[in-house]
Amino acid sequence: MSRYGLFRFGGLNYAISLLHVQKILQNVKSYTLPRLPGAVSAVLVDDDQLVPVLDLAQVFGVDYHQESSVHSFQVVVESEYGVVALPSDMTGRIVAEEKGTLSTIVAEKKELGTVGMFVYQNEEYNILDINFLAIEMTQGFWQSQPDTGDARRHQ
Amino acid sequence: MAVVSRSKLIFRLGGIGFLLELADIVEVVDQIEEALDPGRSDIGQGIVSALQFRQTWIPVVDPALKLDILSAVKLKNKVAVILCGSEGNWALLVDQIEELSAVENFQPCEIPFLLKVATMGCYSQVKLLNREPMIVFEPERYYGSAAVLT
Repeated sequence: MSRYGLFRFGGLNYAISLLHVQKILQNVKSYTLPRLPGAVSAVLVDDDQLVPVLDLAQVFGVDYHQESSVHSFQVVVESEYGVVALPSDMTGRIVAEEKGTLSTIVAEKKELGTVGMFVYQNEEYNILDINFLAIEMTQGFWQSQPDTGDARRHQ
Repeated sequence: MAVVSRSKLIFRLGGIGFLLELADIVEVVDQIEEALDPGRSDIGQGIVSALQFRQTWIPVVDPALKLDILSAVKLKNKVAVILCGSEGNWALLVDQIEELSAVENFQPCEIPFLLKVATMGCYSQVKLLNREPMIVFEPERYYGSAAVLT
C-alpha cells in the first residue's frame, strides 16, 4: 500500500512518498553556512549530521515572506544522494494512495521537480521527485538549466 | 599551557561560527582603526588593507570576501587575529571573538555529499559545538602562496 505525506509551505501543497520521509522536526534551528548552493537555504543538525534545507520557495516561486513567515516544521527525507530537509508550515498528514486520486500531468504543465499530482479532499498536492530535487538543487544545475522540465532522471 | 593548547578559538563572521587552532595565532588585536592603512590593499590577493603590527606593516585579509559572507561590522570595528604564515605574519579580520573552547567540546561532523562540491573551495571540515556547526578555518586557503583565490 503506497502512502503519501502531505505538507504545505506557503501557497504550495506538496506530497512525498512516505518511503522517503524519515522524520518531521518541529522548531529546529537552522544555520547558514558560507557557499551553500543557491537552492539550499540553510542546514540543520539532526543526529549530529548536517542536513541541507532545500529552498522550495525558490524552486516553486512560493512567496513565503508573505504567506508563511514561520515554517516551523522541517520534513527530513532520504534521497538516493543523502538526507535533505524541506520546510513545512504544518505537521502534515499521512494518506493512503487510494484515499485520493493520482493524476499525471501533461508535460507542459508539469512543475520542475515533481512527478505528478495527488488530489485529496479537493486539494491538489504536487508529488515531489525527491531524488531529482536533491541532486539538482545542491549541485548548481538548478539555476544553470532553468528549462529542464522534461529531464527527469529518476522515478 | 597544556590546557591552552587543547583549546580552539571561536570567532564569528556574519553570525557564522568558525574555529581556529591556537597554534596558528600570534595575537588578537582589537581597536585597529588607528593602525589600518586601507590604501595598501591588493583585492586580487584578498588583501583589503595593511595593519601596523609590532613596528611593521602586515597584510590584512578579509575572509568574508572569499566566503561571500555579508558582515554588518565595518572594517574599523573588526577584530584582527594575527596569524603566523609561511610568508610571515598576517591579519585575519573577524567580526567578533567569542571564546576559547576545549577540543573535547567539539564533535566531528561530516560535510554531506550533497554540499561537498559547493563548499570544497572554502572549507573542508565542520565540527559541532553545542549542536551548532562551526567551520574549521584553514588559514592557508586565505593567504600565502598556497592560497587559491576565487
